[in-house]
Amino acid sequence: MADVDIQTLGERLRVARERAGLKQGELATLVNLDRTAVNRIETGIRKVTALELSDIATALGVRMSSFFEDPTPALVSHRSSQGLDTADSKIDRLLAGIAADVEFVNELAPDELALPGEATQQPRPTSSSEAEDLAATARTMLGVDSAEPLCDLVDRVASVGLLAFSTDLGVDTADAGTILLRQGGVCLMNSHNKVGRRRLALAHELGHYLVADEYTVDWRVADQRGGDLESLLDRFARSVLLPDAGVRASWAQHEPRTLREMAVLLASRFRVDMATLARRLNELGLIDRDDVALVRGTTTTRADIVEFGLYVPSDLEGTSLPVPYQKAVLRAFRDERISRERALELLHNTFAEADLPALRPRREDEIWTFVS
Amino acid sequence: MLKFVAGDRAVVIPASVEYELNRQAHDVPAVLQVLGADWIEVDRSDDLPFLMAFAKYERRLAVGEQNRGECGVLALGRTRGFEAVLDDAVPRAVAKEDGIQVTATLPLLCHAIREGQLAVATVEALADDLLSGDYYLPFAKGGFRQWAYEQGLIEYG
Repeated sequence: MADVDIQTLGERLRVARERAGLKQGELATLVNLDRTAVNRIETGIRKVTALELSDIATALGVRMSSFFEDPTPALVSHRSSQGLDTADSKIDRLLAGIAADVEFVNELAPDELALPGEATQQPRPTSSSEAEDLAATARTMLGVDSAEPLCDLVDRVASVGLLAFSTDLGVDTADAGTILLRQGGVCLMNSHNKVGRRRLALAHELGHYLVADEYTVDWRVADQRGGDLESLLDRFARSVLLPDAGVRASWAQHEPRTLREMAVLLASRFRVDMATLARRLNELGLIDRDDVALVRGTTTTRADIVEFGLYVPSDLEGTSLPVPYQKAVLRAFRDERISRERALELLHNTFAEADLPALRPRREDEIWTFVS
Repeated sequence: MLKFVAGDRAVVIPASVEYELNRQAHDVPAVLQVLGADWIEVDRSDDLPFLMAFAKYERRLAVGEQNRGECGVLALGRTRGFEAVLDDAVPRAVAKEDGIQVTATLPLLCHAIREGQLAVATVEALADDLLSGDYYLPFAKGGFRQWAYEQGLIEYG
């Protein structure tokens, strides 16, 4: 932890309080202090005890250690450019927490996370064809050929250092956000959206990660809002999920069927939503403008799932955590480097206490240590 | 009994342990005796090195109010050079990692027997009580006496 003086600590407390949207009096009530005491702590006049600081951190939804650490550089530059009262403060807070957790877990079990030591930075696309090229490069980095569907997208992006978390953020918020860490990156997907859109959003975030965008929050991926880069990364995302060669081969394979049936089969094979499929088929010249509306309006029915034997994907459902992160937390727990309570918290309570591994029995020599 | 265990050493608890004891006092009134004991000093350090050490251990162990006692003990061990008394495996491992001198209740109890301050039967009963709770000891219920003899921690008397 970096050395911090009492003024810096007070200033960090003030910033965290304002980011949490609390007035001094409101925080004071939550932690049983006078408003003047909070004011004096924030201005560095009054010292704060460990218990007070712990209570303040809990009330502000941050960890106590965040007051003493230098936060992820990407987060610092984002926050200094955005100010405090940002519309994306909820996803910002969650992302900041996840980034801190991943960096903490990376200190304890770096082998399990296996975050890349060197940047994987690629040039930013400036045209549709460069977006397609970037997608081809990305698929090679992810270890898939130019045709196969990207079924295990979350695991694949983790293999290049992008750890994808999901949680239900509700309807009126961003689709996803990404922060570059000192090693690798993390993104948070809004699992309120349907699975096809979640996967598209993750592919889009992969684009931001590969071109080394420090911090991004994306709304309504693939609805053609945003700047040029956003549109090109949408194109990149479609191309990653629906590679030219693979889509054409599947299209040819199913050609005698009706357009509706072909749409159902391709959307299932590549695990994308119909809007994404329609746009991709159109940009590959496989369907014309009239057919775009038909594909967009297609719904996969239960009958389709049974009759075509379709797989129903569940990527990034509810609260989900990338496997390397889960393994790293479990390793830290097994090695007795974090408490049971912290392990469960770092796993976002997706594990019950009984789901954690049993700790190893004590060895005879450890008993001697114990009683020496 | 705690006083016997401590012997002539100074006993210091951090404010976070005092807080936990205060909370337990509702269910276990005997805890009040500890809080009122004049030979136990409560350390209310609020200097930055202590806060930083506390925060470091808080990140490893604590969730909300849980395990803050251990964080305070470790932070005192780290910043004041005190010997820490810790019984749970994880804070003990963290202490070892940070070079904090650490002991546990059991060796303190054995020491008190050897010094003639506690009877074996008393400690045996206490050990069984501890085993009834969520507590790790290297023997089963009723096994303290045999174990301690075998380990040479207490003498046949």
